[in-house]
Amino acid sequence: MARKWGMVVDLDRCTGCEACVVACRAENNVPTVGEDQAGRGRAMHWIRVERYWEGEFPEARLKFRPVLCQQCDAAPCEPTCPTYASHHTSEGLNAQIYNRCIGTRYCANACPYSVRFFNFYNPVWDKPFHLQLNPDVSVREVGVMEKCTFCVQRIQAAEIQAEAEQRDLKDGEFNPACVQTCPPKAMVFGDLNDPGSEVARLTRSNRATQLLGELGTRPSVTYFEAESWEEGEKDQG
Amino acid sequence: MERRDFLKAAALTGATAALDNCGNPEHQLIRFIPEEDLVPGVAEYKPSICTMCPAGCGLMVRVMEGDAEVIRHGEPGLIKMGLAKKLEGNPNHPISQGKLCGRGQAGLQVTYHPDRLRHPLKRSGPRGSGQYQEVSWDEAIKELVSRLSALRSANQPGSLAFLTQTVRGQRRELMEKFLKSFGAPPAVTTELFDDAVLRRANEVSFGRPQLPTFDLARANYVIAFGADFLGTWNSPVAQSVAYGEMRQGRAGVRGKFVMVEARVSQTGASADEWIPGRPGTEGILALGLAHVMIEQKLRRAGDAGHAGSLIEGWSKGLPDYAPPAVEASTGVPAAKIIRLAREMAAHPPSLAMVGGAPLAHSNGMFTALAVNGLNALLGNVGNPGGIFFQPQPPSGKAASGPPTSPKGSFSRVGELIQQAQNGNAPKGLLLYGANPVFTSPSSLGVREALEKIPYIASLGSFIDETSILADLILPDHSPLESWLDDAPESGAIGPVASLSAPAMRPLHNTRAMPDVLLEVAHQLGGEVAAALPWKSYDELLRVTFESYNKPQGKNQAAKPGDFWKTVQERGGVWSSSETASGALAGASHAPAAMLGPEFDGAEKDFPFHFLPYASQMLLDGSLAHLPWMQETPDPISTAMWSTWVEINPKAADGLGIVQGDLVEIASRHGKVQASALISPGIAPDFIAMPVGQGHEYFTRYASGRGANPVAILAPVAVPETGSLAWAATRVKISKVGKGKLVLFAGGIREHPQEGELR
Repeated sequence: MARKWGMVVDLDRCTGCEACVVACRAENNVPTVGEDQAGRGRAMHWIRVERYWEGEFPEARLKFRPVLCQQCDAAPCEPTCPTYASHHTSEGLNAQIYNRCIGTRYCANACPYSVRFFNFYNPVWDKPFHLQLNPDVSVREVGVMEKCTFCVQRIQAAEIQAEAEQRDLKDGEFNPACVQTCPPKAMVFGDLNDPGSEVARLTRSNRATQLLGELGTRPSVTYFEAESWEEGEKDQG
Repeated sequence: MERRDFLKAAALTGATAALDNCGNPEHQLIRFIPEEDLVPGVAEYKPSICTMCPAGCGLMVRVMEGDAEVIRHGEPGLIKMGLAKKLEGNPNHPISQGKLCGRGQAGLQVTYHPDRLRHPLKRSGPRGSGQYQEVSWDEAIKELVSRLSALRSANQPGSLAFLTQTVRGQRRELMEKFLKSFGAPPAVTTELFDDAVLRRANEVSFGRPQLPTFDLARANYVIAFGADFLGTWNSPVAQSVAYGEMRQGRAGVRGKFVMVEARVSQTGASADEWIPGRPGTEGILALGLAHVMIEQKLRRAGDAGHAGSLIEGWSKGLPDYAPPAVEASTGVPAAKIIRLAREMAAHPPSLAMVGGAPLAHSNGMFTALAVNGLNALLGNVGNPGGIFFQPQPPSGKAASGPPTSPKGSFSRVGELIQQAQNGNAPKGLLLYGANPVFTSPSSLGVREALEKIPYIASLGSFIDETSILADLILPDHSPLESWLDDAPESGAIGPVASLSAPAMRPLHNTRAMPDVLLEVAHQLGGEVAAALPWKSYDELLRVTFESYNKPQGKNQAAKPGDFWKTVQERGGVWSSSETASGALAGASHAPAAMLGPEFDGAEKDFPFHFLPYASQMLLDGSLAHLPWMQETPDPISTAMWSTWVEINPKAADGLGIVQGDLVEIASRHGKVQASALISPGIAPDFIAMPVGQGHEYFTRYASGRGANPVAILAPVAVPETGSLAWAATRVKISKVGKGKLVLFAGGIREHPQEGELR
């Protein structure tokens, strides 16, 4: 059976530290846009940590949720693309072919998760910042839509390596940059079609939920909601 | 002929013609000959050490071949060399355990920063103008040596001062040895958020003057008093890894986490129970919990041993800390205190941690001793699920210096200023990454005092508010280009000594700080040269690390050469066994009586407590020069590239302030302006601002951006250690106009209108 890549994010472990956000930027050559463009809502983060406030002081509570492309099986972004730049791969990824993209931005409008980012300008790296660029990931130009790829360059490198060694991929053998760096190990990545993989096991858990799953997008990312500590509630105080 | 040799020969003959008119062809040619045996397109991973904060995480650096414009032997050229492309946590390293925080990830940008100093500089304009001219290394070192020799021949070696960023391990020992043999006082570490109070309290309570390691992974109940342990405090990566395990790493057990603070921090957001505490009363609350445990016979007062005896009334069951009295001073309901105490006692192992704002009050020492007493009562010191003190590696053969400063950096800088104001300024100053002009309250007059020092040399990599006063700059390699070693203070249970060879060759005409010191010592001759006999820093490291090569159990000691190689491949030496040491004999200290905090500024004139906090991305401002950090949204506010001031909605209503207004924050000592961010997570009598922005000079990305809340702090110290009591200032605020907030506004929502700022 073909592989189907998926992820589980345990919000009970997530601390909102944003290590994933910086790791993703470093791995995928995501440019910084500067204060002015950031102020216009054009900052690019393939993964972001959303935060929600609930209640008023002193009962105010803050919740974090890392949001990246959900790699939907029924992705609203894909059918809107007039040039088939946004398409579905055989391994379940919502891929973006940059040199097909003509910048209609229909896909970004269709995406309910706001995880697609448009290059309003050519990216700039003040020299010698260009030396930090990852040679495995192409740099996107002005007028092109970009998004999380589940670090497809790492997937392909691992697949090629395994094939060269004539063996199967091992579960957890490689990870996307966000998963690899996450200090509290809130993220797990793997092949959902391998019933023995950690990610498949966790996806079957009764804690599993999906972000905006009711839209019928069938995301490949599963969230475990934060749990609460009950015992104290029964006592006085 | 090997393929590689053939290619070299072909390049030498063929390319000469093509590049005739491109400058000196010999320097163009080198690009065809790879500097190292890297295969194009194949990554190699080399260990290194993260220097972005003092935690000391182990790194793996992804190195790939690339073309870089460099200067070699004074000539520019394009060469193929191994370039660091990505940083990961070193999976074998006991602190980082394969993980890395966002700040660590951005460490790459230090190496490639466009404004990193590329060669030695000599001041050519008035001091502070930033006008410099390039000089050669020979010239620069000669000048420094002649200045130092002059001090020595004038019989004033003691008037050389050294201000440094946090430096540990052999690098620190080398610095101290240099200063001692020269006749100068020890180096002063300048840190805004120093932990001297906690170190001193741990020395008194447990005999260990260091930060503790928290065994969260095996704890069932954690209460944190202000400690931002998942964000910026102590060893955040090690603590976050352990936190994940505490929550979901054990079948059927989920530890509870209680946070006590006045503003929801990134760490506090993850708490099961969040308790607003009145500022500076955290120690009273901790003793209230201890009182309940002793009174309800959940623990015996004697369990706390020496740490308990340091609190007045402990053996009598802390009669002054009955829940109603504690409620009156802390504002935490008595019933809640009783419930928390019972929960903590019923769910061992439970632990308490204290750090940050609670210790930055005039009564910080009392608070730290109180929490230490609570930990001792819980019986967790040196036990699984409790607190540990990581054994420090033995001092090398080089020298032995204090691993940590026993005194707060604020008072040490203060002494320097006092001397300058009395017309007794040091005659010479060496700077290494320290920026006291930025990290000290402006009323202290650090810049004015430093200007009185006749000669300043900087060994740092960037021009900032302090190093712009330097007369001579001898720029350091970036950490990834350097031999590094470190002896982390906390984060693991066993001893750790990290070591790494350079992950890549230097891009610029820089020199490693330890090698500069060795060269200067050599040229100074006499006692200094005799005290520092090593030709290079790696030679010193090798001598030190070979001394760690001892038989372990049944295993014999490795062959010296093999051991040195293994240490470099692993990234250091550490012991996996839990040779944990808990408490040693504490120091004698008068029992601490109940003590409340004192604030600077009267409540009627300055109605708000002022809480400056370490920014998740920029820390104390030392990372503000990295665009990746500037453009990563703050976890709480989602703000980028700017400073904001957090105000409770009710307080803002009362003052007619709405989100985005420009607000002036004034203390008795100055005022700053920032844009208002209305936040439900802050107490109505508090105003909070992130530290990090407000740099006057700090590269193109940070200069002239935002405001520095440290500037308006009252220059008051915690009496016992002389640390800056940075949480003890009161302020007033007023609206002055329309500001600007650059928010990522994380959330699934509509795209902004063209030009809309939110």
